[in-house]
Amino acid sequence: APAVLAQAPQVVKMQTSWSASNIWQEFAKDYADRVEAMSGGRLTIDLLPAGAVVGAFQVLDAVNDGVLDAAHSVPVYWYGKNKAASLFGTGPVFGGSATTMLSWFYEGGGKELYDELTQDIMGLDVDGYLGFPMFAQPFGWFKGEVNTVADLDGFKYRTVGLAADLLQSMGMSVAQLPGGEIVPAMERGVIDAFEFNNPSSDKDFGAQDVAKNYYLSSYHQASESFEFLFSRFFMEELEPDLRAIMIHAVEAVSTANTAKAMRRYSADLKWLQEEAGVTVHRTSQDILDGQIQAWDQLIPELESDPFMKKCLDSQRAWVEQVAYYELMNSPDYALAYNHYFPGKLKI
Amino acid sequence: MIGFIRFADNLSAWFGKAFAWLIIFMAAGTGYEVFVRYVLNSPTAWALDVSFIMYGSLFMMGGAYTLSRGGHVRGDFLYRLWQPKTQAKVDLVLYILFFFPGVTALIFAGWKYAARSWQYGEVSVNSPAGIPIYQFKTVIVVAGILLFVQGIAQVMRCLIAIRTNQWVEAEEDVFETEDLLMQQAAKAEKDAHP
Amino acid sequence: MTDPQIALMMLGLFIVFVFLGFPIAFTLMAMGIGFGYYAYFEERRMWREYFRLDETASWWDSTSTYIEGFFNNRIFDLFVNQTYTVMSNEVLTAVPLFLFMGYIVERANIVDRLFTTLNIASKNIPGSMGVAALITCALFATATGIVGAVVTLMGLLALPAMLKARYDRSFASGIICAGGTLGILIPPSIMLIVYAAASNVSIVRLYAGALLPGLTLVALYLTYVVGRSILQPSVAPRPTAEEVPDVPMGKLLLMIVTSFVPLAFLIFAVLGSILFGLATPTEAASIGALGGILLAFIYRAMTWQRLRESVYLTLRTTAMVCWLFVGSYTFSAVFSYLGGEHVISEFVQGLDLTPVQFLIMAQIIIFLLGWPLEWSEIIIIFVPIFLPLLVFFEIDPLFFGVLVALNLQTSFLTPPMAMSAYYLKGIAPPEVKLTQIFAGCMPFLFCVIVAMVLMYLFPQIVFYLPELFYGS
Ligand code: NA
Ligand code: NA
Repeated sequence: APAVLAQAPQVVKMQTSWSASNIWQEFAKDYADRVEAMSGGRLTIDLLPAGAVVGAFQVLDAVNDGVLDAAHSVPVYWYGKNKAASLFGTGPVFGGSATTMLSWFYEGGGKELYDELTQDIMGLDVDGYLGFPMFAQPFGWFKGEVNTVADLDGFKYRTVGLAADLLQSMGMSVAQLPGGEIVPAMERGVIDAFEFNNPSSDKDFGAQDVAKNYYLSSYHQASESFEFLFSRFFMEELEPDLRAIMIHAVEAVSTANTAKAMRRYSADLKWLQEEAGVTVHRTSQDILDGQIQAWDQLIPELESDPFMKKCLDSQRAWVEQVAYYELMNSPDYALAYNHYFPGKLKI
Repeated sequence: MIGFIRFADNLSAWFGKAFAWLIIFMAAGTGYEVFVRYVLNSPTAWALDVSFIMYGSLFMMGGAYTLSRGGHVRGDFLYRLWQPKTQAKVDLVLYILFFFPGVTALIFAGWKYAARSWQYGEVSVNSPAGIPIYQFKTVIVVAGILLFVQGIAQVMRCLIAIRTNQWVEAEEDVFETEDLLMQQAAKAEKDAHP
Repeated sequence: MTDPQIALMMLGLFIVFVFLGFPIAFTLMAMGIGFGYYAYFEERRMWREYFRLDETASWWDSTSTYIEGFFNNRIFDLFVNQTYTVMSNEVLTAVPLFLFMGYIVERANIVDRLFTTLNIASKNIPGSMGVAALITCALFATATGIVGAVVTLMGLLALPAMLKARYDRSFASGIICAGGTLGILIPPSIMLIVYAAASNVSIVRLYAGALLPGLTLVALYLTYVVGRSILQPSVAPRPTAEEVPDVPMGKLLLMIVTSFVPLAFLIFAVLGSILFGLATPTEAASIGALGGILLAFIYRAMTWQRLRESVYLTLRTTAMVCWLFVGSYTFSAVFSYLGGEHVISEFVQGLDLTPVQFLIMAQIIIFLLGWPLEWSEIIIIFVPIFLPLLVFFEIDPLFFGVLVALNLQTSFLTPPMAMSAYYLKGIAPPEVKLTQIFAGCMPFLFCVIVAMVLMYLFPQIVFYLPELFYGS
């Protein structure tokens, strides 16, 4: 709106792809709080939930048009416009964790490839950053037990992005629905099983009311991060110090979100087990093997696109070098855990 | 002016009616999905996408037809008491102030929106079937153009009604049951008391 | 003026403009775009190309770039984006299918068979013709969900029959108006789909929640009809053997099997498949539409002409409802961008109301809006203003939705825009006066209020089925 007083704080209109009650809205709020604090109140973020201005899946269009100054989302939500989007979140797993892949974004050439995709190939007026390396996403919620790939055959399953192609090739029939529609879809038989993201978000939308078997550990979405989208015009117009705050607050909130996620996700997992009568399983070796084989089939298809090939090459090179160090170097944490809390782990 | 009004009415009706038949495909397609899902246990990947694409095209392309036949709901408890002349004066101003800016935006901003989608070759994210949606986004532009043409005809209707104090009605082909029955009742009563 | 004040002005002006009688979808669109133009007015962005020109730019270039700046407002993009959101709304896909089913069923020559049968079957009950008319209305309205057709068809069929049997004019008209309106409440109802789309309440839960309240209302109506006929037999004399013939039991059963059973089965199939989670509402609606076509074929009522009419009318009514959504999505996006939602919720929170007081206030406002406006406008435009407040008052939006649906029954029966009454007046014999129709509707309005109070006192009427089917 016009006639903004010089000393008044600049209001940033930021919308998320999450509902007001989702824990990720709180994660986005952590970002907003950091920006306000670091800018000494010169910036305030008017943080809106999905649907306040545009729908959850429309935020990329909205930021590009400048209808929103910024958005808090994930790249898979716009992979209908370009499949390469999913390589910046839920791509093939070569052996790196979400932290490995977020490091690829900042130190392994990922950000440059992301800019090439959004700005050069798609011609978008956006500047995007990734933050908060999410823990590998659980395989999800099932009404009964599933132990082998054969058990999954014909299941109507909800997931998003490349994972949809992946699980489809494993014999599941896949629907991609926004988070808020999952439970109603289970209620009305549109789907038989689903995954969303993590124990807290899953609990918040009532997953435990419609399914009682929760499978952790999966390769379908092992390395996603949040996407912070900014209107390029908006960023160019900002004072350089404020722009730096907008960008670097993504790095800051990445740590804050990780810490909060550790506390909340684990507490909610415990609640699901102890209060909601949910049985927590690890996904079987057979299904995990099946997932890797499915990735094997999918990767050549993806690589028929030269840009996707370039991204995957870059990711493979990064993981080959970095994850070798990570895995070789990491002590067996489970051993120590078992020593101090014997009999709890079921790995 | 009458010539143009008839032209616009027919144009809107032609597109509206053509797209109206999508309802049959929607019913059949969705019915097919129910059958293959429950009887054969192998759901389609496309049913959801295809049904919303048909639904969206149907109502968007029907906007102008509905306008020409006076089918958009009005808060008309005062309006209906006015003379046609007065109705037309108010409508004329509001068509210019309220109607054309929005409809013009549909055409131009819709063009930008659809063009971008064509450029990406955008597909729906609802299923891995990858159903294209760029053609669907183009419906916004076409619906805008139809409304624009119909809007000009409505303005002409207003101009005529201001002069003659009588509305130029569109040729009606189908009636809601209640309208039909009420017309018949009114006619029967007139015939009974010549 | 601050932005939130501008937002309130936007709402106020809209209400004023509604009374000018312009199609509301376009009024909403215009208000959204007009105020959005203000909200998104940003010189540096809109004229960014112009500011980038240097001195060497020609007069033409600089003029045209300057003019382009006016059209560079982001509201236009937002508007198109919102339009697409409505176009891709999964819940609303059920709307044209249910409408289509309704248009087919109302053309299937079903209503006279049904009424004749029920009339004979109920003939020993006090007020038997009223009971038969009411049940016919309820069933038929449930299957079609379209108010006007039920009221006029029944008005031509049942009203003359009742008048001939010396029923009180008011009493008979009230039965038809109130009975014909039930279709918007009893699932599968278009109004509930629209509420679900506006509020993000699961449509299946909403259907489950509205079922018992709908039946409760039917029961209250029936109680009133039978009770009044007992207490005041002159309003509903017993029909003579001439008016309602005696029919042997076997023939009556056959009549029931051919008239009542198929329609009841269709309704049950549609509703059952939704409630038991076998199909989405959209899928159930398509089954209903195909079933309706089959039914029309069986009754030899399916003609090419009738199919065409149903198809075209489906398009027109869908366009009417969904363009209203296009307008209101844009309107409300701008309203919340300007901070209007915050002001309203702060204002209401500042009133220090208890949840009950808030609930009563909201329902009174909706009741009053139902005088001049129709249900579609109220649900799509005004109900969303209350929805964010429900969280604060800890009111379940499902419960609220059912109350609203009940409440809006009254909007068809209360002047000045009592559509049911007008439809009936349009086809009734001239000696039936509009005032008599209104008088006949009043006791039914009272039944609606009783039903709402019951809902409030025993919320389990709403929650029992959703919890039974889908857990809490
Ligand atoms: Na996921
Ligand atoms: Na009314």
